Amino acid sequence: MLSYLVRRLASALSSIFLAAVLVFAALLAIPGDPAEIILGLNASPEAAAALRHQLGLDVPPVPRFISWIGGVVKGDFGDSLNYRRPVSQLLVGRLQVSVPLALAAMLIACLIALPLGILAALRQGSWLDPLIVSFAQIGAAIPSFWLGLMLILLFSVELGWLPAGGYTPWERSPAGALRSLILPAIALGLGQAAVITRMTRASMLEVLRLDYVRTASAKGLPRRRVILVHTLRNALVTIVTIIGLSMAQLLVGAIVIEQVFSLPGLGRLALTAIGARDYPLLQAEVLLYATAIVGLSFMVDVLYGLLDPRIRYS
Amino acid sequence: MARIIPALLLALTLALSAAQETPEPVYGGQAVVAITAEPPGWDPTVSTSQEIARVMYHNVYEGLVRIDSEGQIVPALAESWEVSEDGLSLSFTLREGVLFHDGSEFGADDVVAKFERAMDPDSGHTHPEYYEAIDEVTADGNRVVFRLSRPSSALLYNLARPDSIIYPAGTSESQRSNPIGTGPFRFVEWVPGSEVRLERFDDYYIDGVPYLDAVTFRIIGDPNARFAALQAGDIDMIGVALSPESALLAEADPNLKVTQGANTTEITMALNNTREPLNDPLVRQAITHAIDKEAIVEGANFGFGTVIGTHATPVEPYWIEVEPYPYDPERARDLLEQAGFEEGELTLSFELPEPYNIERTAGQVIAQQLTEAGIDVEVSIVEWGTWLERIFLGGDYDMTIIGHSEPRDINVYGNPDYYYHYDNPEVRELLEQAELATSQEEAMEHYREIARIIAEDAVNVWTFNPAYLVAAQRDLYGYWENQPTVAIDMTEAFVAR
Repeated sequence: MLSYLVRRLASALSSIFLAAVLVFAALLAIPGDPAEIILGLNASPEAAAALRHQLGLDVPPVPRFISWIGGVVKGDFGDSLNYRRPVSQLLVGRLQVSVPLALAAMLIACLIALPLGILAALRQGSWLDPLIVSFAQIGAAIPSFWLGLMLILLFSVELGWLPAGGYTPWERSPAGALRSLILPAIALGLGQAAVITRMTRASMLEVLRLDYVRTASAKGLPRRRVILVHTLRNALVTIVTIIGLSMAQLLVGAIVIEQVFSLPGLGRLALTAIGARDYPLLQAEVLLYATAIVGLSFMVDVLYGLLDPRIRYS
Repeated sequence: MARIIPALLLALTLALSAAQETPEPVYGGQAVVAITAEPPGWDPTVSTSQEIARVMYHNVYEGLVRIDSEGQIVPALAESWEVSEDGLSLSFTLREGVLFHDGSEFGADDVVAKFERAMDPDSGHTHPEYYEAIDEVTADGNRVVFRLSRPSSALLYNLARPDSIIYPAGTSESQRSNPIGTGPFRFVEWVPGSEVRLERFDDYYIDGVPYLDAVTFRIIGDPNARFAALQAGDIDMIGVALSPESALLAEADPNLKVTQGANTTEITMALNNTREPLNDPLVRQAITHAIDKEAIVEGANFGFGTVIGTHATPVEPYWIEVEPYPYDPERARDLLEQAGFEEGELTLSFELPEPYNIERTAGQVIAQQLTEAGIDVEVSIVEWGTWLERIFLGGDYDMTIIGHSEPRDINVYGNPDYYYHYDNPEVRELLEQAELATSQEEAMEHYREIARIIAEDAVNVWTFNPAYLVAAQRDLYGYWENQPTVAIDMTEAFVAR
């Protein structure tokens, strides 16, 4: 088990390093100069050159990469070119929005998807199953920005219950922060719920078909126990993978929802960073995403073993 | 002549805005104003991001002079100014008893420190070239004298730009995160990525204003979400990038009102003047003849805008009405034939900047019109950073389209390296004369001549000046209905409930 964890960790770290190299190289390749973007359409070449020097952009790529990665190892992500503030400071502020949003969306998604998926699998052949399946299909097809706007129109413009967007910081008012996250979490969660419902249903059906389930029923175990303990536990292996991947997707892919609800999250920061060619900020964001994805898949692997003792780490 | 401009503006405003009586100003309350993107810090002298000036200029920061709501240069921190007869010195009498938001007193040394920094190309100040003509800035009591190496008619206007704001000497490093100015509002709180809050500055040097206790600028990137927030009453005003569709919806909403004002944006279809076949004036004239500008205003902006024929809008002091090549598709075909192109033989690339809605839509309408005139157009959409680098700085394009919102920017036609690649010694000579002119009126006459020449040369196709649209709650008054400068000035805004 320990040697497995060490090997797994080494491969995770090398994936993250590879991501760092790739994003650095990609940013060199795309056109656009941060100094020109900061100075705008009427910048003089002298002012741009002076700014480029100030920002350290006149250093050749290789030494620049080495000094950047050296800083990262020590926990220093450098200063944002656009905001001229430490990148780590910017990211911490944004995590306070993105992490609760992703968790809330996932909670909503699971609360809807797990019961619906299990129900659909158990009632296969009845009218309920196709209803749930088509519900999930529609849910997956609706674009999240449209859903977000509909939620705003209903709950903010018509009913006036919740803010139409914007964000109240946690330290100012936890209740306000929660209120500003409810609608976006629903908009984000419903799309994920659709995916997880379908996966839960499929996974349950697969396990229900297996011999040991029939044996358990034949032995006269109560149906509840057969379903919750024998079937669900095994079906969960697949479901957990999907949830883990969805979680990463929620962290990374909330850009559209953050834009619709004007939430200062990681996605919107990344969008600004791309527009401004803010290299240090963008590099740090990509590293963060890579770490989140690698970390979540690592956790999923560990969970596998707990759920299914047949999986051995060798 | 100069008086005509305010009169014209006033007439325009009266004609266009929804007729509404403004009640007596009321003190107290607050307003929430939407902006579209997060400003990268708060100091307009280290970044030209318009978002900074939009929030901070006139509200928090001020300069010696400023642009008023009618586009005139008026006193701000300077009470008055004088230009010497030879045009080589400009002296300002500073207002006395002005306090900065940190309680310190504003004085001549702050002005001197500011301009010494502004003139130093290594200081990172945004536009050192604005102050090129200045040799030396000296202080004498409450008088500040700018000694010039040559007369400069543009200098006074440059001193009214957001770049020329004045803050306490020695605080330039902290201003981008902790802005301290002399304006009617002081900076209180910034929630990164979300909003910035300004509160009334009780010691403001003009008695009686501002009326509001607080103004919050909230960052809302999505245009639909922005409008929904207005409808929901979460915000009080959309003063930037209001889409024409939203303006129509707001007009129909009894709780909201819409105003249409003037601004300095020319939606310009730029032509690469040195690249074949656009280096042939006949081809450029043919393109201009092939474009129906009225149809663009309708198609791209629901009719909100004024057709223009040169690089000027009706609020510029050098505005002239010219249209040497009016819409005439037949004539366009003839000219193309004269230039040696048979139907379908001419193919041009047309690159539209991704972030700008009006420009993208206008570009699509234009492409359609050019095709009808027998020109094949290859339309592509270009991401902003790429647009700046390849098209704007690299000059690698046939045709593109962008809104030039900078006021008084006709001087770009004197720069052959500018992305139009237009090189005309006559225009350069006129610009020089304009800069050396000792009266504004003389300078403007030269600018008008330039406006005429570039229109004759069909350098670009200037399509239209989009109206400055504002949508606000019914009970918000006193905001600027015109946009002669980028600032959203809330000094005289009030809420009458």
